[in-house]
Amino acid sequence: MTNTRIAMVLVVLLALPALLLPAMSLAYIAYKGIPAFSWDFIFGTDPGSGFGVAGGVFAQLLGSLLLALGAVLVAVPFALGTALYYHLLASAVQRHVLMALMNMLQGIPPIVFGLCGLIVFVHLLHWGVSLASGALILAAVILPMLVLNSITALEQIPFEDTEAARSLGLSHASVIARVWLPRAWPGMLTGLLLGMARALSETAPILFTATVFSGVVWPDSIFAPVTSLQTHIFYLSQEGSDPAAIQAAWGSAVVLIMVVAVFALLARALSRHTNRQSGVLSEGADS
Amino acid sequence: MIMQTHPLIKPLPRQSRQHHGVEIEGLSLSLADKAILQDISLRLPDAGITTVIGPSGAGKSSLLRCLNGLHQQWQGEILLQRRDVRHWPGGGDLLRRHVGLIGQKPCVFPHSIRANVVFGIQGRRKRRKADGIVETVLKQAALWDEVKHRLHEPAESLSLGQQQRLCIARALAIRPGLILLDEPTASLDPRSKQLIEQSIRQLAGTMPVVCVTHDLEQARRLGGGVIFMCEGRVIEEAACESFFTQPQRLESREFLRWTVCDCD
Repeated sequence: MTNTRIAMVLVVLLALPALLLPAMSLAYIAYKGIPAFSWDFIFGTDPGSGFGVAGGVFAQLLGSLLLALGAVLVAVPFALGTALYYHLLASAVQRHVLMALMNMLQGIPPIVFGLCGLIVFVHLLHWGVSLASGALILAAVILPMLVLNSITALEQIPFEDTEAARSLGLSHASVIARVWLPRAWPGMLTGLLLGMARALSETAPILFTATVFSGVVWPDSIFAPVTSLQTHIFYLSQEGSDPAAIQAAWGSAVVLIMVVAVFALLARALSRHTNRQSGVLSEGADS
Repeated sequence: MIMQTHPLIKPLPRQSRQHHGVEIEGLSLSLADKAILQDISLRLPDAGITTVIGPSGAGKSSLLRCLNGLHQQWQGEILLQRRDVRHWPGGGDLLRRHVGLIGQKPCVFPHSIRANVVFGIQGRRKRRKADGIVETVLKQAALWDEVKHRLHEPAESLSLGQQQRLCIARALAIRPGLILLDEPTASLDPRSKQLIEQSIRQLAGTMPVVCVTHDLEQARRLGGGVIFMCEGRVIEEAACESFFTQPQRLESREFLRWTVCDCD
């Protein structure tokens, strides 16, 4: 056996667990969860009846999407503003500090954000356990990711584009609106979809800031609590004694994975589409 | 009545200066503690081509960027049509509308050919109603015949040579008073080069055109005046034919013979 072949086998052996473990986990979750699926399970709006034995997860799905959407709506303007500041105004030192801060924030465990949310929004501001508290704290969790993504999207804009626009007498505001944003929006939208997927995956930050187990389908206001798929799975698996409730937890897990996968795959498709388009255009330019 | 000059009123510019479109006096620029331009003084005519030549790192492109305000941390004085660029009415953005700069690498925006031409025109309504301007400037840039039937196709589908001519048309659409070209034909095919040179000569009939080039043959073809720069300094300034046939400075002769300059 040649050295190259040995190296190839080693690489495959090392890569296999990374491919097999997630695939096996997904297969196992699907095997356990799909039997719970029924029309009533997905679309039933009688949340948590019989502690998860009966009723569906529609309200939880709605709550998860509301929280994620709220988080993204709050985080995106700040992410865009921070990325524009980084790109336009920040000195080298400020850029360094900002990048270090964003990377550090990304490393903070989400439960710590949840604790901060509990103290600040729930207790200090008296917002209570609510959609607003949960969305804001989820926004803080996904903000570093969105900022870094927006910075990358802006950095990919060729310098020549900016200089050409400035040479035409465009103001900074016009350069942002007419050159940077049209160029960067696919990258930013990809980041936004990944942010939605991340927000949908987080449990700890919303566990004691936004969600209750049952009794809510659509919150009356942003200061009312919601139910969510993530915490629904947590409650059922922690406290559910009936096997039917445990199966409902597996079923909820499959629904959650499917929703997260939809956003992640959309982001991937958009990214591929953008890359393909720029490839076609640069081929055209070379002809 | 005898008119007295108030001591605080700045005297009028010298008569000789009034005939120049661009006047540069004692221009120096340092970037990251490195001297890029050193004490440059130049006069460029109201119309006609001036070619700036010199080895890489001579400061040619930086000189252009000072003229249109992309570099702002320079010292000295730059007058365009007798107006100080530091106090240009309306500020830096309006200065850049007066001084069209076309870069070395063609840079088109991800829009249609037409949208690229009108990109610098202010106001959406004016851009929509700019068909006449589009035709005029595309003709000036020798591109009209090639694109008149596909103005709404993506600009990125044009060849590099066509893209560069589109950049010239885009700069002309905002009616500049001066055109700066930074190696506009570098890496272009001979046909595109020829068309762009033709367009430059046509433009030079109505406004000052400053063209930086590495291509000495091109500088000779373009005619007009030649400025030879090295190490951030102007070494020689002369009429084109005189510079190429009878260069006055030793550095110029060396550069014309070996395209190197040792002016330290």
